[in-house]
Amino acid sequence: MAEVRYENASRIYPGTDIPAVESLNLDIPDGELLVLVGPSGSGKSTALRMLAGLEFVDEGSVYINSEDVTLTPPQDRDIAMVFQNYALYPNMTVQANMGFALKQQGVAKPERAERVQEAARILDLEPYLDRKPKNLSGGQRQRVAMGRAIVRRPQVFLMDEPLSNLDAKLRVQTRTELADLQARLGVTTVYVTHDQVEAMTMGHRVAVLKDGILQQVDRPRTLYSRPVNLFVAGFIGSPAMNLVEVSSEGTDGLRLGSLALPLDEQTAHDLAALDAGDYTVGVRPEHLQLASEGIAGEVTVVEELGSESYVHVTVEHQGGPLLLVVRAEGETMTQRGDNVLISCRGPVHVFAPNGERIGA
Amino acid sequence: MSQQTDRAEQVKRLQRREGWRRRLPLVPALVFTIVVTQVPFILSLWYSLTEWKIVPPEPRTFIGFGNYVDLLDNRFFREAVWTSVWMTVSAVLLSLLLGTLLAILLDRKFFGQGFVRTLLITPFLIMPVVAGLVWKTQVFNSSFGVLNWLLDSLWFERIEFVTRWPLWSIVSVLVWQWTPFMMLIVLAGLQGQDQSVLEAARVDGASSRAMFFQVTLPQLRPYLELGILLGSIYLIQVFDYVDVITGGGPDSTNVPYFVFQRSIGGGWQFGQASAYSIVVVIASIVIATFGLRVLSNLLEGEKP
Ligand SMILES: Nc1ncnc2c1ncn2[C@@H]1O[C@H](COP(=O)(O)OP(=O)(O)O)[C@@H](O)[C@H]1O
Ligand SMILES: [Mg+2]
Repeated sequence: MAEVRYENASRIYPGTDIPAVESLNLDIPDGELLVLVGPSGSGKSTALRMLAGLEFVDEGSVYINSEDVTLTPPQDRDIAMVFQNYALYPNMTVQANMGFALKQQGVAKPERAERVQEAARILDLEPYLDRKPKNLSGGQRQRVAMGRAIVRRPQVFLMDEPLSNLDAKLRVQTRTELADLQARLGVTTVYVTHDQVEAMTMGHRVAVLKDGILQQVDRPRTLYSRPVNLFVAGFIGSPAMNLVEVSSEGTDGLRLGSLALPLDEQTAHDLAALDAGDYTVGVRPEHLQLASEGIAGEVTVVEELGSESYVHVTVEHQGGPLLLVVRAEGETMTQRGDNVLISCRGPVHVFAPNGERIGA
Repeated sequence: MSQQTDRAEQVKRLQRREGWRRRLPLVPALVFTIVVTQVPFILSLWYSLTEWKIVPPEPRTFIGFGNYVDLLDNRFFREAVWTSVWMTVSAVLLSLLLGTLLAILLDRKFFGQGFVRTLLITPFLIMPVVAGLVWKTQVFNSSFGVLNWLLDSLWFERIEFVTRWPLWSIVSVLVWQWTPFMMLIVLAGLQGQDQSVLEAARVDGASSRAMFFQVTLPQLRPYLELGILLGSIYLIQVFDYVDVITGGGPDSTNVPYFVFQRSIGGGWQFGQASAYSIVVVIASIVIATFGLRVLSNLLEGEKP
């Protein structure tokens, strides 16, 4: 089918100095579902629209199937896009909406009807083919938007936050259906979301953007276990990683309050080569535990989720209070006001003052 | 159970009181409107059922539907009806077509857009009588008119436009004045379009032509209908242009002008004239009813 490549692609909106997307390099192999994730305004939509041809590429190039499409208009790129608000044609029935692209290609009516029918069957839209979009529920509209994309059998699917207008439960359900559909069709897909959970659960690989700059592209597991910088570390994972500023004291390693942090060999080695100074240490809540020894603190909040719980504990660190989130079992007996001890089993992530990861 | 009905009763009473509190401030305006429009209208209704000549004064006599029956075999009235229909239909459709073309041009960004838009709107801001006079004396006139100056410069013969094509002379002025109105309505429709729908169409491979005819135009439909209906309601009552440009005559006397001719314009047949004007009112009401329905559809469509 198709592979997609961004090469130093930048977009600078007229009237602004700062690029909305800066020098993006990304290689997306055939059949992959790549998720672009980042906070609002980080340039995800812009990057996607550059690939769609809806936004100019001011510098660099974009390739589909190693063909340079930087200057190709959207109608000649053979891509299908699902918009955040679905952008269905309001005056057309569901059937006409889904068949619109085929009609533009001059596909004969019987074949068009057949392909629409097939897509409608996959998406459970058969009873609604003669309705107008305004007479559909949000979830049904979302499926019509999907149907409009899959009917075309395009080279690439582009999706810009397609689930953000659904309620939470439907979003989770549709998320898996969508991932499954993509895997079955095997069409290269670029999927934009601001929701890191969606990114982690759906993406074969996830690209994290911040201020128009690509931070890291990796498989979800790697992104979680080896964030390359402070931003990715804080952005990926829910609840977020505990990030603590720690002054290193030369040979002594790093301490969280009175607790010596277990660093892996490589990190300890790299850290020893650096000057003493202020580093940021990251520990995920599941790598801390309530124990019989460790740093003492007082519980402020217990978030009980049933299968697990997150305990917020205030400890003393470098002369001030510090809030740590610790994962505990579900139905924990711990309550607000309890005095607890926290120990750390690692891994521990260490970031230099400039935010870069230290160690492997 | 009875407590519930009591509660319902109370709520209803409260709602009624609240309703009156909101309506009360409107009452003076309502009274005024009734006095200046509805009372004369009802008097006209009554006059239309009488034979009533003022010059020389004759007593008013009730003749039932006599005036309306006479209408049907009055050749001049039938001609006036046709003139009205032609004038309204051609002026509305031409101005809508031109207005749509201009709106499409104005919908894209270009340097000096605001200035051009203002210039395009100005004809609409000119008083009808003034517009009529300007066109008659500066454009159509055989000695001083721009058109004849053009013909002259190109070695053609001079033409007295207003005499030769009275209907089309008036229609051109109407189109000139009403194109901006249509343009504004269509422009509102164009700019109210969801941009992402247009983008979706581009990604779906639509050519500019397909995009306009298959996506944009269907979405514009309610706006076009609105333009047609508002334009018709106004243009069916045109009087000033006719009076100023041709002063009546075959092919330019429309029904309102005919009403004028038959009454204070020299005919002094107030009974007959009232019957004619009632016909115009009925036609306007029919059109307005459709118009209001379109308008309410348009407003409903905007709710999510
Ligand atoms: N049409 C535009 N003109 C100027 N700036 C824009 C335009 N669209 C987006 N931007 C800016 O570009 C940046 C990235 O926007 P966007 O790609 O929409 O972010 P995201 O989709 O990640 O929320 C933002 O700072 C936004 O304000
Ligand atoms: Mg966006």
